[in-house]
Formats: sequence, C-alpha cells, structure tokens
Amino acid sequence: MVKIEHKRALLVIRFRDKKFEWPIETRYWRNPLLGVFGLAMLPLFFIGQPDLLSLVTTANIYAAIAIPLGWQITGIGRLNFGPQFFLGLGGYTAGLISSYYLWGPWGTLPVVILVGLVFGLILSPLTSLAKGLYFSLITLILPLIFLEVTYYFSIFQGETGLYGILPLISVKSITAEQLLACYFSLILMVIFLYVIHKVMTSRVGVYTAAINDDEEVASNLGLNIKAWKIVCFVVTSVMIAIVGWFAAHFYGTFAGVTFLPLSFMLKILLVVMIGGRGDVYGAIYGAYFVVLLEKVLTVLGTVNYIVFPLILMILLFTLPEGLYGIYRKHRYREYYPSIRVRKR
Amino acid sequence: MELIKTILIYAVLLGSLYLLISLGFSLICGVLGIFNLGYGITFVVAVYGMWFLMHTCGFGLFPAIAGVFVLQFLFTLGIIYYPIVKRYMEQEDFLLTSLLLVSLIVEELVNHVYPITAGVDIPTTILPGTLEVGGSTIPFQMLFIVVFAVLITAFFLFFLLKTRLGLKIQAVSQNHDAAQLMGVKVERVYIVSMILAVVPPTICMIVIAPVWSIEPTMGESLLQTAILVTILGGLGNLRGTTIASFIVGLISSSIAFLVNPRLVNVAILICVFLVLLFKPEGITKSESLW
Repeated sequence: MVKIEHKRALLVIRFRDKKFEWPIETRYWRNPLLGVFGLAMLPLFFIGQPDLLSLVTTANIYAAIAIPLGWQITGIGRLNFGPQFFLGLGGYTAGLISSYYLWGPWGTLPVVILVGLVFGLILSPLTSLAKGLYFSLITLILPLIFLEVTYYFSIFQGETGLYGILPLISVKSITAEQLLACYFSLILMVIFLYVIHKVMTSRVGVYTAAINDDEEVASNLGLNIKAWKIVCFVVTSVMIAIVGWFAAHFYGTFAGVTFLPLSFMLKILLVVMIGGRGDVYGAIYGAYFVVLLEKVLTVLGTVNYIVFPLILMILLFTLPEGLYGIYRKHRYREYYPSIRVRKR
Repeated sequence: MELIKTILIYAVLLGSLYLLISLGFSLICGVLGIFNLGYGITFVVAVYGMWFLMHTCGFGLFPAIAGVFVLQFLFTLGIIYYPIVKRYMEQEDFLLTSLLLVSLIVEELVNHVYPITAGVDIPTTILPGTLEVGGSTIPFQMLFIVVFAVLITAFFLFFLLKTRLGLKIQAVSQNHDAAQLMGVKVERVYIVSMILAVVPPTICMIVIAPVWSIEPTMGESLLQTAILVTILGGLGNLRGTTIASFIVGLISSSIAFLVNPRLVNVAILICVFLVLLFKPEGITKSESLW
C-alpha cells in the first residue's frame, strides 16, 4: 500500500503507482500548508472549552481583517485608520436583514458584498483625492461618525445592538456548533490568506508594490495609479465587510459599540504592525499573539486595560518590524514591499 | 426670526469653543507637519490634572491652575514629544499608532483612578447664572468661552506675527529646510510650538468644566472636532482654522436646532467631504501659519 522511504533530503511516499516527494530540509518547512494544518488542529484541543474556542475564532477574525488591510495599506500607500467602518457596515447589513426579515446567512452574504462594493466605490475616490495623511484622518473619523449614526436611528438599536441574528450553522449540540463556527472562521481566514497571497505574488501584487514604492515612477511606467488604488481599496473593503457578516452571524448579535470605537481599530492596527507590515502571514502571528495577550492579562483585573496597551507600546518600540520581521531578517532576499506612508 | 437669532448666537458660542479646541492641533499641523493624535488626551489631562492637584494634593484654586499648566507642559514634552514625536517624525504609521496608544493608556489610567462615579467637579465658575437671549438660555460661563477665544487668538497672532520667536515658528512652518539653513534652531521651535499648543485646550477645559460633562473618554470626541475643523481650514493655517471654526459652529447650531443634535457630526463630516472634493487644500492654503 503506502510505502515511505527516506532519500537524502527527501521523504518519498509511494502509493500504488503514484509518487509524492516531500523535502524535509528545514528551509522547506515554511510550507504554509503545515501552518494551516497546525491551526486546524488547534480547536480540537479545546473541545468543551467554549471560551478558548471563541478565543481562536476571535483570533481568526482579527487575522481575516488584518490580511486584506495589509494589502490595502501597501496598494494605496496610505494608512487606513478605519477598517472597522466596513466591518460595521457588513455586520449591520447582515444583522438588519437577518433580524428584521429573518434571512439566513447565505441570503445576507450577497447583500453584504453588494453594500460593501457600493460604499467602497463611493469612498474610493478618497484614495486619490485625500493627499497623504488626510486619508488617515478621514478614515479615522468615518467609523466614529457611523457609531453616532447607530445611536441616532432606532433601527440600529443603539448600544444594545441588534440581536436575534440567525446563526451560521445550527446543529443540535452546542459543542459541535462552536467547533464548526471556529472552523468556519479558519476557512474564511485561509481563503483570504490564499487570495491575498496569490494577488501579492501575481502581476497585480507587483503593481501595488510599485505604487507603494514610488507613485511617480509607477505612473511614468504606464501604470494607471488611480484605477489600481480604487481596485485595491474596493476589493479589500468588501473582504472586511464579509468579516463583519461573519461576526454578526457568529455572535448572533451585533453592536457598533463593540466594533466601531478607536480601541478596536487599534487592536487591528497592532495586529498588522506587530505581525509585520505588508506581509500576509505576519497578520496571523499578530492576531494570535494579541488575542492570547489579552486573555492572559485578564487575570490582572481592571488594570489589564492599562497594561495591555502598555505592553503593545513596548513591543512597538522594541520590535519595529514586528514578530515576523525577526524571521524575515534571515530571508532578506525575498522581496516584500515595505509600507511607506507619505505626507504629501 | 427668533430662531435665526438663536442659531446665530449659538453659532458664535460653538464657533469660539471649536476655535479653542482646534487651535493647538492646527498649530502642530502647521509647524511640525504631523497629526498629533495624542491631542485629545490633553483635554483629559487638563481636567483630571486639576482635580488631582485640588482633590488629592490639596492645592487651592489658583495654585492648581498654575500647576495644571506645568503638568501639561511636562506631559506634552516628557510623554508626547521626546519619546514619540521626535523619534518617529518620519515614520507616520508608528507615530500615529503610538500616539493613539499613549492616549489609550492615559485614558484608561484616569478611568482607573477617577472613574466616572468619582464625581469630578472643577470649581472654576467665573460668573454663576444664565442669560436669556432671544428665547434661549445661555450660561454666563459659555460667554467667557467667547472672551477667551478672542483673547487667545489675539495672543497667538501677536506672538506669531510680531515677536522674533513667532517669526521663527512661521519660517519653520513655511519651509523647514530653509529655516534651518538660516540658523533657526528647529528643534527649539518644535518644543515651543508643542508647549503653545497645549495652552488653548487647557484654558478651554478650565473655563468649560463647570458646564460640561466630564468623563475620561471625552478626549476622543474633542479630537474628532479638532481634526474636522483643521482639515476644513486647510492644515495648519490659523486663519483657515478660525474661519472653519465659525463655519462648523454655524453648521452645528443650524443642524442642532433645525434637524437633530445627534446628526451634527455627520453634517460636519459631509461638509468636510464636499470641501475636500472641490478644494482639496481646504479653505485656505496651508503654506504659512496666517
């Protein structure tokens, strides 16, 4: 049947007349499939511990926001301070339709994508219009204003938020439901990871890297900067809106007060910064690190609200390239666009 | 007619308040060319620093007012300028993230020591009572906001246009490199600007504290206002900021009286969007401070 033999640096697996080769040299261990396999095994250890399962899900959600955000920051060359605006948009769209019209998650998904697309397109001119830090400032304010709007209109149900949103999966056993939801978040994150990785390594990835490195040179070489910035902004915004859709259906409730304030955005931004900017895999390390740190610090009681940002601040000072940056130092030959935010 | 009168009165009141809120932010934008996202926390430090000096250290009113200025200067130089702004001047992403983090840390610290139930009360009422104008009731304290806004703007203008140090600040805001070549000590100018920038928010909070809701998270909404006004006025131009404050004041009071007070910020944001669309550099060009 299956025959495994060890040939120099290769592990040769023979199955009938087929042959698979797996390099066992350490430099090939970076295979993302191994990492994904590790992440997929993680929830199995936490069966029956709903708090830890939800922690893993939260980490996956953070990573799923940070991965597209990393590409967006590269592609438009500006720091988006309000990714949670689209998260709120997706969440509230799904929540409103689901709780008022009792639509299931698969019915709300196309609507969420459409709404994300429309708002992404409406706001996309900002990527060219708002020079330099204007963009950061406007995106910083957008979610805060959205939060106020949710307080004003009664359909958003203010601070209580929307409730009674239909769940993603309904199975009789609660344990199975939690596990499935956890895997669902992992699948969503892995899809995003795959898509963004493919884009980053494709021609489009080179375009965005060129825009990020020098807009003028890229423009002189015949790249339509405005168009690519809009494409990048809209695609990533829709992706973040989909995460909002997931969050609404996963938690069953959606309140802007959880997702829209500055403190939530800071967490996402730190996932990007600590994981390593402009890098797709770094976001996962960052997300799991931030979530784990937050959980560990809860033993401190209310002081953890002060200690948590303090630790992140120290990390930002001491590890400017992020956790993944330590590893990247050894692989300096690979090209990764570094994010440069410009004043003008 | 009565309504228009009320709207105009409130436009002036709110405009002066917005001017005091955004003057410092605009100055830092103009001179240092950065966005001080730690600006929101200066309001919190002003109120809670005063409360700390009066309530915990047992200072009298006037020593506490003097003390709060010293506290602000120490805070802005020791926590904002030297460790963060100076270090990350050219790395905007790090700069903005660490400034926001510092704000969050201080905010949570204040919230831990003086939660909203602590009943912070600053006894800086200059004249108690209210004034009836055209069917609306205005606390006398709010009128002092107008007085202080005029006084501080006048002081800023005198300082920036007439004194030698002010001219140096203007020179740095116009062209950093050229000013340095002409012998201006740029770092000293930065420090003076950072110190000057905390004066309006501190005075604003001392005056407004008796009639304003005081909570550790108030910095966020005030920073939001400062950002909107500064963008509208053209970054770092004090003339633009002054005009923009009163425009925003007029929009706020009209929306609040005619539509709904909760929609004020949405209306201001839409206005800023429209201005950016047709005049991306804001009302006035930010080539110099005035």
